[in-house]
Amino acid sequence: MKMSLRVRLLGTIVGAILLCFVISIVAARFTLQRDLRSQGQAQVTNGASAFGGYWDSRKDQIRLLVAQDAVADALRKALVSRNTKGLTDQLSNVARTSGLSFLTIVDANGRVVARANGPNGGSLATNPYVTRALTGETVSTAGVLSPADLAGEGLAPQATADIKDANGKVVSHLNQGLALVSAAPMSDANERTIGAIYGGVLMNHYYDIVDQSTHALGGSSALLEGDAIVASTILAPDGTRIVDQALPEAASVASGTPFDGAETVGGTEYLVHVDPILNDQNKAVGARWYGTPMAAINDIINHTTESLALWGLLAAIIALALAVPVVQRISNTIGQRSKQVSDAAKELGVAIVGSEVSGDHVAATKSAVEKSGALIDDMAKAGDPTGKVAQLKSLNEELTGDMFVIDTLSQEMSSRMTQAVARVHELNDVAGALDKLVTGEAN
Amino acid sequence: MADVILYFGSNADTMIATKALKDAGVAAKMIPKPAHVTSNANLCLSVDGGLESQAVGALGAAGVALGGVAK
Repeated sequence: MKMSLRVRLLGTIVGAILLCFVISIVAARFTLQRDLRSQGQAQVTNGASAFGGYWDSRKDQIRLLVAQDAVADALRKALVSRNTKGLTDQLSNVARTSGLSFLTIVDANGRVVARANGPNGGSLATNPYVTRALTGETVSTAGVLSPADLAGEGLAPQATADIKDANGKVVSHLNQGLALVSAAPMSDANERTIGAIYGGVLMNHYYDIVDQSTHALGGSSALLEGDAIVASTILAPDGTRIVDQALPEAASVASGTPFDGAETVGGTEYLVHVDPILNDQNKAVGARWYGTPMAAINDIINHTTESLALWGLLAAIIALALAVPVVQRISNTIGQRSKQVSDAAKELGVAIVGSEVSGDHVAATKSAVEKSGALIDDMAKAGDPTGKVAQLKSLNEELTGDMFVIDTLSQEMSSRMTQAVARVHELNDVAGALDKLVTGEAN
Repeated sequence: MADVILYFGSNADTMIATKALKDAGVAAKMIPKPAHVTSNANLCLSVDGGLESQAVGALGAAGVALGGVAK
């Protein structure tokens, strides 16, 4: 395809601009993705740490509440006197005002004396936290409550749920509960252990901690039991909380290793950090999930890319606006020079032809003068009584000399013209090449 | 004063010399090379003897190589 110099120059300029443009955008996008992802992951990790702080704070609060109740005179006296009705009322008040899900007092044998809610009676003698409390230890930990424990405290309905996958299909059934629990021994005036108080907060469908975290930190928070979300601030597309949904990617945290990375929940991609929730035996009993929508990062990347593209386009237009007149001027100048060379070559061509024609005429004239000299010689031989023939002969000799000079000059010029012809052909070639370069079309 | 003959290495030099002398205002006539002058050129210039030094100077100024001067 033939292209004019103008098209080639502008094409090269446009190509160079576009190449720089594309490479800049790709490089910027790549760098932004890498840096923002790294920065985002750091922020998510910090957010997850803060979420862990809320969790620990709540655990300490529960431990403090239970420990205070363990030394409350009213409760101790009611326990000594076995005032079940009075204990139940007091425990209900304390649990309600303290935000505890359950609060139970057992005697020294682990038999339940009173509960804040749920039916009285039963035994917690095999409950590991109560057992430890009865030995004098104050226990504070996260744990998983069994269905029997939950039923005893009247919390089974809060914890029981069908766990669905992302498509809404039921994949498992949950009947245990993730909880923050505390247990402390209760002593009489002689410091003899007369029982224990055992309470805590069931985290299944309990949103105080995740809401507090999200309000303070932004992003989304969730608590997981196994790989199931039991409480969260993650929103589904319809605006409801996502709970009772399985997160297979978080299952690896059960081994006690935190998880960092991207995860799609409820159709939204998040950059997440998942920490294991450890009990006081350092065994993972659940997980804390904290994430920020990847869209926040992608929005920055897309916005920056769009801005770069827009400004780049503007720069390209300005560059082209500046380049077009320059290219136009260069092309026009070369075009004008090409035309000058072409015109000069044509004029030289005419001169060459004229020289050749005049050379022929000079040769003919020289021949005529020489013939005239020969004729005068013949006339002189026949006699020259008036001397006119001698004058004519002298004049003819001068004329012959001039003709010799003219003929020699003509031959010299002819020789030079032969060289000039070659140069004119070269000039014509140069002019043609320049025209072709400028216009892109052969003459 | 009798004319002097200025001759050159080639006919082309003779032509250039003619133009140079004309530009310098020195009258010169191009003539066939006389038999007694030895040169590769067929032509030479005839100049008035009184203008010889002026002609030689003009040719030198114009950078034209003079083959020689014949009386």
